[in-house]
Parts: sequence; structure tokens; C-alpha cells
Amino acid sequence: MLTVRRLLGAFVAVALGVTVVACSSLLLAAGRPAVPDRLARAAVVVQSPTARVLADPFPPTVPWSTTASQDLAARLDALPGVAAAVADRMFYAQPAGDDRITEGHGWSSAGMSRARLVTGRPPQGPGEVVLDRPPGPVTLLTAGGPASYTVTGTIDRPELYLADPVATRLAPGVHAIGLLLEPGADPERVADAARTVVGPGGQVHTGDARAALEPRADARTRWIGMQILTGTAVLAAFATVFVVAATFALVVAQRRRELALLRTVGAQPRQVSRMVRREALIVGVAGSLVGTALGTGLAPLLGGVLVSSGMEPASYAVRFTAWPIVAALLLGPVVAVLGVSVSAWRAARVPPQEALRDAAVEQRPMGRPRWIAGGLLVATGVLGAVGVAIADDAQQGGNLTLLSAMALVAGAAVLAPAVVPAVARLLTWPAARLPGATAVLVRQGMRTAPRRTAATAAPVLLTVAFAVLVSGLVQTTTEADAAGSGAAVQADRVVAPDGTPGLTDAAVSAVSGVAVLPTTVFAGDRPLIALGVDPEPWVAAQRRLRVRSGSVPSLRGPGTVAITESYAAAVRAAAPPAAASGSSGSGSSSPAPETLELTFADGSRSTLRVVAVIADGVVAADLLLSRDTVRRHDPSALTSAVYVDGPVTVPAGTGARVLSVRAYAAEADAAEDRLIWLFTLLLIGVSAGYGAIAVATTLLMAATSRGPDLRVLHRTGATIGRVRRALAAEAAVVVAIGALLGGAAATVALLGVRAGLSEQAGTSVPLVVPWPVVGAVVGLCLLLAVGAALLPTFTARQRIRPS
Amino acid sequence: MCHGPGPGTVLGMTDSIVELRDLRAVHGAEPRQVTALAGVSASFRRATFTAVMGPSGSGKSTLLHCAAGLDRPAAGQVIIDGTDLGGLDEEARTRLRRDRVGFVFQAYNLVSSLTAAQNVGLPLRLAGRRPDPAAVAGALDAVGLAGRAGHRPSELSGGEQQRVAVARALLSRPAVVFADEPTGALDTAASRQVLDLLRALVDQHERTVVLVTHDPVAAAHADRVLILNDGRIVDDLAGTTAERIAARTALAEERC
Repeated sequence: MLTVRRLLGAFVAVALGVTVVACSSLLLAAGRPAVPDRLARAAVVVQSPTARVLADPFPPTVPWSTTASQDLAARLDALPGVAAAVADRMFYAQPAGDDRITEGHGWSSAGMSRARLVTGRPPQGPGEVVLDRPPGPVTLLTAGGPASYTVTGTIDRPELYLADPVATRLAPGVHAIGLLLEPGADPERVADAARTVVGPGGQVHTGDARAALEPRADARTRWIGMQILTGTAVLAAFATVFVVAATFALVVAQRRRELALLRTVGAQPRQVSRMVRREALIVGVAGSLVGTALGTGLAPLLGGVLVSSGMEPASYAVRFTAWPIVAALLLGPVVAVLGVSVSAWRAARVPPQEALRDAAVEQRPMGRPRWIAGGLLVATGVLGAVGVAIADDAQQGGNLTLLSAMALVAGAAVLAPAVVPAVARLLTWPAARLPGATAVLVRQGMRTAPRRTAATAAPVLLTVAFAVLVSGLVQTTTEADAAGSGAAVQADRVVAPDGTPGLTDAAVSAVSGVAVLPTTVFAGDRPLIALGVDPEPWVAAQRRLRVRSGSVPSLRGPGTVAITESYAAAVRAAAPPAAASGSSGSGSSSPAPETLELTFADGSRSTLRVVAVIADGVVAADLLLSRDTVRRHDPSALTSAVYVDGPVTVPAGTGARVLSVRAYAAEADAAEDRLIWLFTLLLIGVSAGYGAIAVATTLLMAATSRGPDLRVLHRTGATIGRVRRALAAEAAVVVAIGALLGGAAATVALLGVRAGLSEQAGTSVPLVVPWPVVGAVVGLCLLLAVGAALLPTFTARQRIRPS
Repeated sequence: MCHGPGPGTVLGMTDSIVELRDLRAVHGAEPRQVTALAGVSASFRRATFTAVMGPSGSGKSTLLHCAAGLDRPAAGQVIIDGTDLGGLDEEARTRLRRDRVGFVFQAYNLVSSLTAAQNVGLPLRLAGRRPDPAAVAGALDAVGLAGRAGHRPSELSGGEQQRVAVARALLSRPAVVFADEPTGALDTAASRQVLDLLRALVDQHERTVVLVTHDPVAAAHADRVLILNDGRIVDDLAGTTAERIAARTALAEERC
């Protein structure tokens, strides 16, 4: 029963899908959090308590103040087995022009790292530093600005250490205390003892669990990478099921007569469907074997690419873990059986009488179940798009977008036979006015076989839909970012960091503009973003500021804070109800909180007076503080950008540059941007490459079955040229149908994204569809489709000899 | 409507392999319904060769479909080898076709991806049994295709494909073989071969053959000829020459 040529399309689809899934899973499994190098020698690490946040998978930790950390370190030092308890202090420090090192630590932390002093001596006072370069003068950038330092010692790793007193000044808050153990001490026992000492005021990690101290940025990068790989794998699996289903739909449709003959000579419906399922299973197993082998071979290569492009640390290595390989091997058969289920059911229902009738004309292309299924899928897709429009969480929005797009694509493919005759008529209308048989042949061919046409258009549908979705998503999001940030502040230029993680105070004071100094503060165990601003200039520059109560310029006074409306509401909601008893008759709005108790980045706690409540949507933060307040409590805070109105120059050596507001918005976060582009390329590559191959094989399959029709055409007087023209025209119309439907499906999903982004940005975001990308993808499909349709007219067996 | 010399009478019960009782069938749905069979009763005895003739539209294909269990009649009974088809569900009908009925069509007799030998053994495989290679070879030999066992249908001519279908009917030992215009697309030599084989099925292997045809030459091979017109049996002859059959057919068409 099995013919290789017929099932080639399905086999290629499964092999490709399994390759992508195997590769992604292996890369995923390899990406495990690693213990940071600088804590390698501290067998036990005590971390300050984690803040309680619902949506953030990488919550920050609430810092201990200097005195609290000293007290804790002393108690930990007294434990048996502990040689030393080292408070780890981390602050911004960067050698000018060197972007490998952007953080510094106190020299006592060097004892926990693998670094060793090769020459020279450790730093002892201000102005002294230990680096991986020979002793001599060096310019260091800290949060205050550039300053001259002297390298007193050389180490063998790219790390930076200042004297402990200097470190304490730059980073008063402590997030981790590392314990160096005496030789022969058992880390587990020490950890248990530490836990009793620390109690609920922190967490104790040992062994691999110390990876919890990985820098949040690294963890986030890794997490984004995981999302990308997962998304790619899900997309590949979906595309595989899709193409397998379309292929087998075509196969069953083409073999109706043969299936009817089997039924006539006595095959039970069950036997027929089992036969079709068995073929699918064989395809699935074969595809799985090939795909797993390919994926396993590709994964190490891709892992190398990730390391060399900086996405992953050098310690990243693809190991051959069991679960990805097993999952990939199982995926092929599962996907094949799923994809064929409807076709197998169809095959069983072929009545035996069809063996005696000409079955080329399909009866009832759209049965009621098909209408219902298609309707449900489209409804799901539209609901998903609506969900994206109203979603708050970016990750939730991303997942919903993918889901909505998949549902819409599947729905479009299922409902396609209903629109094929109409669309075919529309597309061939101009040509039908002219004399000649081509248009008539093409149109009639499609009108009488809408299901077959729909099945051959399906891969094109998938390819174009995802090309439009992914590229449109990226472009629209970028536009939204530009629109959002451009609208908020009266400025046409931005002074942004150049090779540094942020702007120092020196750079900020060298230009006059609106600068914002962000820092993280904690209300209890809840982290909040606070922005340090210069009150008067900041107020003057805002285009959309609305103040509900109080006045922002009062931030000049000490111990003051301004809060947003939504934060005020959150505090009120959490307040005990007894406070409201006295004002039960006062109407809807009870007064905003008058004071706030906050813990700052240096671990100190103080009560601040609330001087203003501002409307939502103005700042991407919860609180406003004066810049001085922030600088006092967070010596390492860096400014992300300064918005300037009018021409500006920056002094050299401060690590800053000037660009337009739009350009700055488009850059956003360099590392994250690169990842997003990787995401785009990967998804478009997978879906377009996938779809292109599926297009070629499906159309080749469909074309080879038209041999008898073509011979008839030839004998009734069509020259080989005319036959080829008719075939090419038909292939073009099929691609057009697929492209239209796919584009429509993706556009609905994108509309949802646009609505959501417009709401977040506060202005209307244009729907951007990058026509060059879409055009390229459609062009590729067209090329492959026409090539596949014409190929049989060139091969020996189907040669239609001109007589 | 006109009546011929009476419908075929029901002969001895035990002798009949296939019995049709007052079959009625229609095509299409209201209001464009067409009557295909308007009350046909006939009986086919064991080891006989019956030809069913009539112009196109007379209902002879529908008769064959109903008699073979491929279609359900609107009314009436079909009994094959003592089993009433009316009481059977789809699965039982299929089993009956597999075990008790053989088919030879004008075209598309064989599964294109199987070899001739595999096609011959198909009904047995569907029943879950392994065909005996010697028996398969013997069947192919009996139809004169001994050396072609490994060839696919695409490598066989139309007549050779028919003969493989006959071999299939030989091997599975059905109670009755239905042939629907098997010689329609063949030349005279190939036609004669196929008809001779069908005749041999009856004479040497004691099968029952029901042949639907419009060709008097083919009908001349039969023991008995039934002529249909407008959904009824209008004539029932004993086997005779092609000329007389043609004459009787023309007469039947003229009358109605």
C-alpha cells in the first residue's frame, strides 16, 4: 500500500519538525543556571530575603543594611566549620573603554572567587584597584563619574576589586554573605546551622543551588532564550501536524477509487482506516529517526553559535540528555497519528459504490462537521486576539498571540474549501475575458476539486501567515515603543550610554536635560521602582502630566515621595478596614496614604511623607523621589538616558553619546534586541523553510496524479506549452489563495496585538506589515509551487510527446 | 407499462445462489427522483452463467449493485447463498462480499500499488489468512498469466488486468461472481479470452457468474439472458446465438 512518492511530503514534514524539536530541546536542557564564578569557593552562601512579586520570575532580594550585615556575618563566622563569613558588595565600576567588566567588588570578596593575585598587592585605600592588567594608572567609571585609579595588583580573571572601605561606601547594601569553610567541613551541616542562625531573614544555598545568585540579567537572558526555543518547538510541532494532516487529506482524496475498490472486495471500514493510520505511523517513525539524528547533530553546532554570539556563557555545552531525545523520537509517531486521524476516518467512510463511478468530482466539499470545526477555530482565534488586546502581562500577551495565530491558521485551512471556488473565480476573472482555454481549465479544475485545492494551498497558508505574523509583530512592537516614548517627553534628542550600562552623574551634569535615576526600593517585601528626578525641570518637560493631589515640586524637601494613583489604590486596598470606619459616610475616595515606610538599596529604612499623587500612564514606575534622595541611598545607581530639547554635545570619556528620540527608542535594550531578532529569524526561518519544502512536496504530489488529465488535454489539442501554462497558472492561483488566507489569519492576530500595544503606549500604534519580507516569502512559495507543478511535465514517465 | 413474458420464476430454492425478490430502487432525491428498478424478481442457480442486458438507463448496473450488496434497494429482498442481505449491517455485508462474492469490473479492478499476485490474494488477506503461494500461482496460471505474478497493474494491459481479477475470483472461491461490462474496453481477442475464462469458471469450477453487458456477443456465452428495460425484466431467454439475442434486445426496446 505504501508508495514513497505519495507520502514524501508528510515524511519531510515530520523529519523537519522532529529536527527542530530535538534541537530546541537539547539546547533547552543544556541551559541550566550556573553558579557564578565569583562565588565558586564559597561552599555555602547566605542570600538576603527575596521580595514577594507575583509576575516576575526573577524577583530582586531586599538588601541588608551595613550594620545588619555586619551583625549577621559575625554570627555566621562563629559557627563551627566556618573559616570566614564574607559580605559580598557589588557596585558599578568599569575601566574606561573596557566593556568586559561592568561591576566591582570589595577585596574581601576575592577570597570567594577563583581569582588569584599574580603580582603586586591588594588595594588598601581609596584610588587603588586590582584588575587583570599590569600595575599602573587607569581611569575607572563609577556612578559618580570618571576618576583616576592606580592598579596595585594583577589577577588572572576579568574581575575588579576595590579596597573594602571604598566598597562599603559605594555599596552599603549587602545581598549575599559567602561562607568560606575550614578544610574537611561538611557544607550541608554548615548550611543547616546557618539556616537556624538566619531564620526567616534570608536564604541559605549550597552546592548547585547557589545558582540562585546568578545575576538577574543573565537569568533573564537565559529565560528569554528558553521562551524562544520553546516557542520555536511549539511552532514546529504545530506546523508538522498541520502539514501531515494536509498531506494525508490529499492522499486520501487522490486514492478514493482505490479505497472504494478495497471496500468492494471486502475490506471493513475499520481495516481501511487502520491501513491509512499504519502508513502514517510508518512515516512518523521514519521521520522521527531521521529528525532525531539530524537534531542531535545540529544541537552542538547551534550551541557553539550561541556561545560565540554572547547569548550564553562559555560554560554552556550541549550534553546528550535522555529526555529531549526520547521526546523527539516519540513526537514523530504521535504527530503523524494525530495529523492523519481525520483523514483515516474519511477513508473509512468511502462507499464501495465509488469504485464503479467516476470519483473525480468531489461531493459536498464542506460537510457540517467541517463548518463547525472551522467556525470554532476561527472564533478561538478571534477571542485570542481580543485577549491579547486587553492583556496586561507581556508574556501572557505573547503566548496568546501565538495561540490565536495557530487557531486562525488552522481555521482558515479548514474553511478554505468554502472560499476556494469564489476566490478562484475572482482571480481568474480578468484572464477569463480573453480567448483561450487556460483560465477556464484552471477555474473549473478548482471549482470541481475545492478540497484538493485547499489541501495544496495549506502549506502556503501556514508559511505566509507566520511570516506576516512574526515580522509584523516585531515591526509593530518597535513602532509602539517609539510612539510611546516619543509621546511622553518634550524632547527631540537623547543622551544615551556608550559602551557603559548607564550614564554617570558626571555625564548627566554635563548636559542640561531631563534625567531619571531609577532605583529599586522595597515597601515591606514588595519591590517598587522609584525614579529620582529633579522636580522642576522634570515637571516642565512632561507633556501629559496630571496631578491628582499635592504638588511634585515639593519633592525638593527632604524625606518626601510622590506616588502614582494605582499604587495609592493598592496601598489603600491593603490597609486594615478599621481605618475606614470613621469615614464611612464620606463618599467614594478616601484620602491617599500620608506616609510610606521604604527600605532603600543600602538596606536602610525610613518613613517618607507623600507630597503628591500623580495619574497613571505618565511614568513607568510606582514612585517619584528627588534625585538627591536616590543618590544618597543608592551610590551605584545609573541614569538610563537624558532627554534634551535642542542641540547638545557631550564631553569625551564620559561614556555617553547623542541620538534622536526615535533612534533611541528603537534601540531600547541592546542585548534584548539581539535576542528578539534572533527570535524573528528563527521563527521565520522555521516556518518559511518548513512551509516552502511542504509547498514543493505537496504540489509535486498533486501534480504527479494529474497525468491522465494532462494526457487527455494533450490529445484534444493542447500543445505542451499550453499545458504548462495552465499548470503554472493553477499553481499561481493556489499560492495566491494560500497567501490571501494566511495573510488574513495573521492580520486578525496582529490587530489584537496592535490594540494591546496602543493601549499600553497611550497613543494609536500603526499596524506595520513589512511588505518586503512578505513579498519575498510569497515569491519563494510561488517559485517552488510552479516548479513543482511543472516538474512532472519534464520527467520521462509523464512526458507528453508533441505529436 | 408493457409486460414481457413474465418475470423470471423462482426455481428450486436449494439450487439458487442469488435470489432477488421484487427489488425496487431509485436514484437521486425528491423531486428529481428516477426509478432505477421497478420490481425485479430473479433467481440465479448454482453453476450457471447468466447475462443481464439492456440499454443504458435500463437499471442493469443498479441491479448488479443491489445483487452484490453494494447498494441497499428501496424495497425488496436480496438473498445470497441463503443469507438475506436486508438484515445485515455494514460490517456483515462487507464480510459477505469478501467471502462470498467476486467482482470483475470494466476498469480499476486492481490496487495499483500491489503486484498481480498480491491482488489475487487480497480478499484472503483481508480475512486475516495467508494465501497459499502455490494456489496463487495456480490461479494466475489458470488465467494464462503464469509469468506475470510480480508485475504491477501499470505494467499489464487492460485485458490482463481483467484476467487477474478473474484469478482473484478463482482463488477466493466466491459463491457468485459479478462482472460489470468487463469487455467494454477490450479488443475482440482479449474479450474472447476473458469471456472464455468466465465460462470456464462455471464449467470447470462450478461457480455462478452474472454478467452485465450490452454486447450480444458477450451475452452469447451465457446459459441464460435476462433483458431489462425501464427497471423491469422484459425478456428471459435460454442461451443462444448473438444474432438472436440482438434481435430480441431490439424487440424489447421497440416495444417499450
